[in-house]
Amino acid sequence: MVDQQLLIEEVKEIVSRDDVKYVIGYKKGTYGFTVSPAFAYSPEYADKFIFNPLCKKNLAAYPILEDKLPLKRGEKEDKRKIGIVAKGCDTRALVQIIQEKGLKREDIVIIGIPCTGVIDQKKIISRFPSEPTYSEITEEQGVYKITINGKVHEIAKEELLADYCTSCIAPNPVIYDVLIGEEVEPWELKEHKNLDVLEEKSVGERWEYWKEHFDRCIRCYACREACPLCYCKECMADLLNPQWIRRSVNLSENTAWNIMRAYHLAGRCVGCGECESVCPVNIPLMELNKEIEKDVKNLFEYTAGMDSEEKPLFGTFRPDDPEEFIM
Amino acid sequence: MTVTETKTELEEFEPNIIGFLCNWCSYAGADLAGTSRIQYPANIKIIKVMCSGRVNPMYVVNALQQGADGVLIGGCHPGDCHYQHGNLLARRRMVILKNLLESIGIDSRRVRMTWVSAAEGRKFADVIKEVTEEIKKIGPMKDIQRVNEW
Repeated sequence: MVDQQLLIEEVKEIVSRDDVKYVIGYKKGTYGFTVSPAFAYSPEYADKFIFNPLCKKNLAAYPILEDKLPLKRGEKEDKRKIGIVAKGCDTRALVQIIQEKGLKREDIVIIGIPCTGVIDQKKIISRFPSEPTYSEITEEQGVYKITINGKVHEIAKEELLADYCTSCIAPNPVIYDVLIGEEVEPWELKEHKNLDVLEEKSVGERWEYWKEHFDRCIRCYACREACPLCYCKECMADLLNPQWIRRSVNLSENTAWNIMRAYHLAGRCVGCGECESVCPVNIPLMELNKEIEKDVKNLFEYTAGMDSEEKPLFGTFRPDDPEEFIM
Repeated sequence: MTVTETKTELEEFEPNIIGFLCNWCSYAGADLAGTSRIQYPANIKIIKVMCSGRVNPMYVVNALQQGADGVLIGGCHPGDCHYQHGNLLARRRMVILKNLLESIGIDSRRVRMTWVSAAEGRKFADVIKEVTEEIKKIGPMKDIQRVNEW
């Protein structure tokens, strides 16, 4: 568990630095089991900062989302850094963005947090459907202690832990400037849920499975908006000329969109699970992402978001790349 | 434009195959096959691209949506690429695309890749024969056919 007080002190110190514009972190949400992103421009605001197992949101998307307005005459560009509170997977996303030159390493200050896994919102809401806002949530030796209206509920960690956390290869931050607390022991890795079942199926059965999911897709593009690595200024799905995907919501276009989304994250997805957790119709998008991640690892011995000096997967080649499928 | 398949019997099924051939090798190879009067199935519809590295994976998906039963991507042999290594980049992309299609349940044999040089007219004809035979066996691609609802 992360020491709340230590985090606040660290954030205060960083915000008061002259070369830091603001720090992005988490604060308590307004209802239910939500946590919202917080932007501390002053040390006083940092008192609101928290970190608990509900802080699942990947904040790595925020530094690149900031709009850079045109400068007025005589105005100087604000070159101050942005601080960011980041878990293991968030730092992997940052590494990947830095690798793709979306951000400069010297433009961000990373406050690393060793993470012991986060809670799946959908699981906890199904557990407490009508409960009002929680007051505290802590983790102790594999048990979550949730305080609601003064009453403490104890729930085993496995019941609430997000699925993608079981196959997390980086619980500790990959890069950081400041680390809050001690590094945690990496846990035993499990394959992502349902992946082995899917692989056993035949092509036709797999299509039946995905057809049902893609048919439900309403193409709200929430998966794209939440993803820290979908940061293109103009997405291919929004283009009108050429129009890659028609606007109509039907199986054909939904499948094309889902292929495109998964493909564009090949060798880039860091497995933070944002796309899946924001999906309003519960499409298991992480299964697709993990499938590609596995292929990329087996074929090219490449893992996304571990080394910012490495070349992007599709920007390079090796003479001995697999070519059994070529005639 | 959607190319519609009118024949329903599997014996009569003539697949539509879209070939993305690179300007420098495969297209010239196809040209040679033509000028040498080598017979090959007329199922392939060729689109010339400057390099196999130019083929966006979405081209393949869009072709499958719009009535193609198979897609063939032709490039130069490794090391012969007019643009140094475009074909090697394409090779990486296509292996991931094939695996992705396989894992969502679209037969990955529908997407094929080949190296054909400008001197290999005979090989080009053989490749087309093989691909056509195979796609005839798999059958028509109906799963993600684009529908025009308006």
